[in-house]
Amino acid sequence: MPDDPLSLRLYRKLLKLYPAGFRDQYAAAMERAFRDELAEGAGIALWLRLLVDLAVSVPAQFAREVAQDARHTLRLWAARPWHTGFAILALAIGIGANTGVFSVVNALLLRSLPFRDPERLASFQLFFPPHDTARHFHDWRTHSEYLSDAAMWETGDVNLGGSGEWRRARVAQTSWNFFQLLGTQPVLGRTFAPNEEAEGSGWGTPGPNAVAVIGYGLWQSLYGGDARALGSTIRLDGNPLTVIGVAPPGFDYPDQTVIWKPAAYSENNYGWITIGRLKPGITWVRARFEVVADGYRVWPASRRAPRSNPSSLAPLRDELAGPIKNASLVLMGCVLLVLLIACTNVANLLTARTADRTAELSIRSALGASRARLCQQLLTECVLLSLAAAVAGLFVAIATVSITTKLQPAPLAAQTYSILDGRVLSFAIGVSVLSGLLFGILPSLYAGRVHTFGTRSSTDTRRSRAVRELLVAAQVMLTIVLLTASISVGRAFVHLMNVDRGFDRSGVITAMVSLIGTPRETDASRLMYCQEALDRIRRLPGVRSASTTQTLPIDAKGGMGGPLGLDGRPGTSNSAVIPVMPDYFRAMGGQILAGREFTEADMQSNASVAIVSDVFAREYGQPAELIGRLVGSGNYLRRIVGVVKFMDYMTECCGYKQVFLLSLTPGWPRTAFVVRVTGPTEDHIARIRATLQSVDPQVPVFDVKTMDERMADQFARPQFYKTAVLFFAAFAVLLATIGIYGIVSYTVARRTHEMGVRMALGTTAERLRGALLGQGLIPIAAGAVPGIALAILSGRVLESLVEGAKSVDAAAYAGSVLFIAAIAAVGIWIATRPVARLDIVEILRTE
Amino acid sequence: MPIRDQSPDLTPLSPAVFHILLSLAEGERHGYALRREIAQRTGGKLKLGPGVLYGSIHKMLEWELIEESDERPDPHLDDERRRYYRITPYGRKVAQAEAARMRDLVQLAAARFGVPKHA
Repeated sequence: MPDDPLSLRLYRKLLKLYPAGFRDQYAAAMERAFRDELAEGAGIALWLRLLVDLAVSVPAQFAREVAQDARHTLRLWAARPWHTGFAILALAIGIGANTGVFSVVNALLLRSLPFRDPERLASFQLFFPPHDTARHFHDWRTHSEYLSDAAMWETGDVNLGGSGEWRRARVAQTSWNFFQLLGTQPVLGRTFAPNEEAEGSGWGTPGPNAVAVIGYGLWQSLYGGDARALGSTIRLDGNPLTVIGVAPPGFDYPDQTVIWKPAAYSENNYGWITIGRLKPGITWVRARFEVVADGYRVWPASRRAPRSNPSSLAPLRDELAGPIKNASLVLMGCVLLVLLIACTNVANLLTARTADRTAELSIRSALGASRARLCQQLLTECVLLSLAAAVAGLFVAIATVSITTKLQPAPLAAQTYSILDGRVLSFAIGVSVLSGLLFGILPSLYAGRVHTFGTRSSTDTRRSRAVRELLVAAQVMLTIVLLTASISVGRAFVHLMNVDRGFDRSGVITAMVSLIGTPRETDASRLMYCQEALDRIRRLPGVRSASTTQTLPIDAKGGMGGPLGLDGRPGTSNSAVIPVMPDYFRAMGGQILAGREFTEADMQSNASVAIVSDVFAREYGQPAELIGRLVGSGNYLRRIVGVVKFMDYMTECCGYKQVFLLSLTPGWPRTAFVVRVTGPTEDHIARIRATLQSVDPQVPVFDVKTMDERMADQFARPQFYKTAVLFFAAFAVLLATIGIYGIVSYTVARRTHEMGVRMALGTTAERLRGALLGQGLIPIAAGAVPGIALAILSGRVLESLVEGAKSVDAAAYAGSVLFIAAIAAVGIWIATRPVARLDIVEILRTE
Repeated sequence: MPIRDQSPDLTPLSPAVFHILLSLAEGERHGYALRREIAQRTGGKLKLGPGVLYGSIHKMLEWELIEESDERPDPHLDDERRRYYRITPYGRKVAQAEAARMRDLVQLAAARFGVPKHA
């Protein structure tokens, strides 16, 4: 017989492809059949036939056995719906939240930007190219050694439309090559030409740059997608622009812009943002060196003192993700922890259930099911559980995505968070499979130890218990990390909300008005408009005071500022300059530390007066010492009449050095009305809007909100993260408690008999329950130690990622551990209730 | 569990199943013998590989068309012990039903096309 050991060995290996049940029964017979065939003659034909045979029969057998196992699993689930439901829910939240948060990370940090060759696009920080004239800028960009191209942009909000009908619109003025740099083609018309740039400032001044590319959405809403839009005129703040092109759908860079117009260059404009494209072969490291040198080279040309921070550049994608990036990473970490906890929990649950099923598994084992067959059954259960959880998790993921889209919109319209993305779906599948393996391994290992014929030894019971206690300890460890993180993030948020911002936001209503492009555009008519509006508002019932300001606290986007000094001496650093009208501090609830507020009398006498913040005053002495002195620069000096506590304008330029000026020409480019009312603010909002509109229907009144709402908008993102982290921490505590409850109630059920005997011998139920409580708390203590260590580590990471987050103190660590222990103790106490109800007589009788 | 009651109609049977039943109608056979006999009967057209053969046997055992008799050496082949199978009364009935189905089909075909004496 030509017994070929090699082919036989190979065939044996191939037999392993069959499912365990089939293999158990027929592997030996099939091997013999193979040898019989070999005896008839080996060769390629035989192997070809065998491979076809395998290809046909392996899937068929698998389908049969998996279907069998699945039916069995469903019967088991139906028998314990709560267990199953809980396991699926825990995993679904874990998998779903991970998928949802990953879709955010994917959209912001992994997916390419919708521009040509986006990996080479860079955004500059603290760098201004020469921008006094178009020629200087284009000279700089065409002679750059490290950039193949560069463009500048600046955005602002304007009144779009004309008489009667208007809307606010975001406009960007860009260097003419902006679209070329990004590689964006218009869907209609053309983009800018080199000769369409202008010099001077302003958004809509007539000149060669009075042309515009409009966004796709605007094209649809204004022109219904009609090609005749080209050549038509739109008005920005009253100035006409000719539409020359339409941007492709979804293109809204930068900052949700809907209208682009060619740049007007001027020396004093420092609102420009520069983007560039690295030359081929230039690495990011090299480019970062180059930009520092470039910054120092270009800076003297712009006649400013060199800065302490050198210029830098970063990939455009990272720059866009900016503030969302770290927060998303923290959230990703949290949801990964939650998933880990959920997996440990389900593993615990399944181990317990497998232990309960000893009898069933032993019988099946006795009936000839091999270890592999039993493991296959348990794995099928796990895979089904993962699948069910993944499907349920899909809904959690969709909910997560819709919440994040609302609370933390992506910087570009094209960066929508979506789970229908190859990478996100692979991630979801990967996470489901991995978690399935994670919680499936333990029960399967356990099944491997089930003995044939009979019950397990007490060693096995002890080992099973040890495994479960280890799992609980791991859960406690992870929960402590989450809990301390939530404390740290929560404290940072509370601090953020409670910090004294120098104004009293309750009872304040604000409304924006834009007078540019309206008949009220001139200095005198703007003042008249504001005074008339204030008169009418002050006469409204419930209004305590009203005023206007050019910029609102916590809302300032690029305000004015400059190096103002005292008594004609130059200032040491920049101060923010905020023009306001009389009564501003009363309306805003500011704190006057010395002197007085601006008054109507100042207004009437055209007084040249100012109020400075305490931070400004600190450089020169006590607040009271500044009253009557002059603040300003050069010949432009104003008399200080008051010193106030600084207000938080959240500007990056000037810190809290603030100079408030009495504004005799308010309303340019826009003005904010500030109204302090008594009673619920909601009642006043509509009335104040109507009053403002009644002054002049042609003047756009928009953004009418309470100061509370503005705060909520401003802090929506931290609020969202705080809530999310708190939710996940609470969820983790719940899971840990259920895990501990499960382990204890299982112990109680198993030891009923023993405890009955002990009670018959004189132990009280309370003492037994006390002992169980002690035992139940051991894994918590075991998990607390590494938990705190991990929490200290993660606190460091958190500090670097979340602004304002501080590592929690020892008391908080101890508090978290005690909190978990207390909740667990309640769970254990409830789980041991059956002990108190034990019927000793009944137990002894069964003996 | 009597699967018979759940799925009374197993026809049409797959060729492999029908041929196995045909072979077992003559007496007990082991797997390899079944394979060889079927290959001979069909002139080598139906050569059952081990996977399909034992897959079919597995299925037929479940359907209770056949049952295992015992394990013993094949005196004609070698001394190795082999598992023998035999047809059950139910298996015989199913085979009859299948044969009847085929006969009806053949009769219908004959009426429509005419059947040559020697195909």
